[in-house]
Amino acid sequence: MTRLADKTALVTGGRQGIGRAIIERFEAEGARVMTCGRGARPAELPAEILWETCDVSERSDVDALTDRVVETFGELDILVNNAGLQIEKTVVDTTDADWDALMGVNAKGVFLLCRDCIPIMSAGGSIINIGSISASTADPGLALYNASKAFVQGLTRSIAVDHGPAIRCNAISPGWIMTDMAAAAFAVADNPAAAERDALARHPAGRFGTPADVAAMAVWLASDEAEFATGQCYTLDGGLTATSPLNPGLF
Amino acid sequence: MSAILAGKTAFVTGGSGGIGSAICSRFAREGAEVLAADLAPSATANEAVEFVEYDVTDVALCRQTFDRLAARWERLDILVNAAGIEIEKTIEHTTLEEWNRIFAVNVTGMFLTSKYALPLLRKANAASVINFGSYDGYIADPGLAAYCATKGAVHALTRAMACDHGPEGIRVNAICPGYVDTPMLQSFFGDSGDIESLKQAVRDVHPVRSYGTPEDIANLVNWLASDEARYASGQLWVIDGGLSAQVQQMRL
Repeated sequence: MTRLADKTALVTGGRQGIGRAIIERFEAEGARVMTCGRGARPAELPAEILWETCDVSERSDVDALTDRVVETFGELDILVNNAGLQIEKTVVDTTDADWDALMGVNAKGVFLLCRDCIPIMSAGGSIINIGSISASTADPGLALYNASKAFVQGLTRSIAVDHGPAIRCNAISPGWIMTDMAAAAFAVADNPAAAERDALARHPAGRFGTPADVAAMAVWLASDEAEFATGQCYTLDGGLTATSPLNPGLF
Repeated sequence: MSAILAGKTAFVTGGSGGIGSAICSRFAREGAEVLAADLAPSATANEAVEFVEYDVTDVALCRQTFDRLAARWERLDILVNAAGIEIEKTIEHTTLEEWNRIFAVNVTGMFLTSKYALPLLRKANAASVINFGSYDGYIADPGLAAYCATKGAVHALTRAMACDHGPEGIRVNAICPGYVDTPMLQSFFGDSGDIESLKQAVRDVHPVRSYGTPEDIANLVNWLASDEARYASGQLWVIDGGLSAQVQQMRL
């Protein structure tokens, strides 16, 4: 299928997990795709996907990345701000270095990418930010992560309002998507296996999400099918946040 | 065009309305077998869509329709509850009969149709129910009191159905359109003076500088109906051209 035929896309954080699923799906839908990460190009990354080494929290890196986008694509049609960090700490345990690292990627990185890319985006361009259900309801022990995702929601609305109608901007707020990041969050529990069983039982969908689930939403939002969708934070969580946390069946 | 709903069966209430008929046409184009259920056929009949006379307020007809459908279809993959009416009044001028009427169509009708569709939806193993909520379930438009209240009820019912029937393989979501160019919107504009300047003012307040079309809404319904949305459930999907993302103020 080629729902993104001839479109150009920049996806941050494409090494693994959700970002990786998005770039592979975009490519399969006909887009020309560039992705980035802090290290060298992953050996097994499909050859047709372009890789740039970039720390999204560093302005000079982001400027250089943007230059590469212009050299390679001319205009950019789709920007996906996916790169994200998670630190499993409460506020009291969080160091200044933790703040710089996490807010640098999850907040400043999104800002830097948007500031650089909005001027080079085509009319009808689509920005997709990866938020989290944690923006609206806190996951325990993930204080800065939760707060950084609330930043993403606020910025998403601002960009939609300030830069429409030329550019649409939406966020996807995934719930528990089975990635290394989710495993690290479960590891915070006293009994990770029990926590995972409990979490699973709270999903009306009967399963956790997969990176492919998020990629499917990203394809729709990136496509011209979503022309009237902007300024929204769409939750994709298998029904988790639609149900009350107080579930007598689990007592 | 890929046929994203190939082999699926779909039942759309309000299937002759502005948004409902756009949904039916899109479903048919995507390869689904579609029943447009409504009081009367659409003025712009689409021969790929089969009309079935249906009234969401008639409990006997709802039960009978799905009894018959069970003899014809092995399963129902997609149910769209799009039947809805609007009453342009404050509570002061709304009669009890009008209040009961709009709840009968917008809320009770959704309950009855979903209730009688459940056995066939279960057989799909991966069914998608799409209810019509509204932007008005979050933020009130002036002079639409009962309508706003029904849409708030739809939102809560959507979450409840997702919670209860998710484990049976039924996803339930609501679409919450903002301003969409339909006969209902024309009626809402009706008594407010110069309709052209009013339309322009409404366009200008949207970040995308236009109000939506039935096709814009059908695009999202189509996605939610498809297996692409297999992890999406229990959510209220606002699609409003960015209207509710901004603090409302006139640009003076």
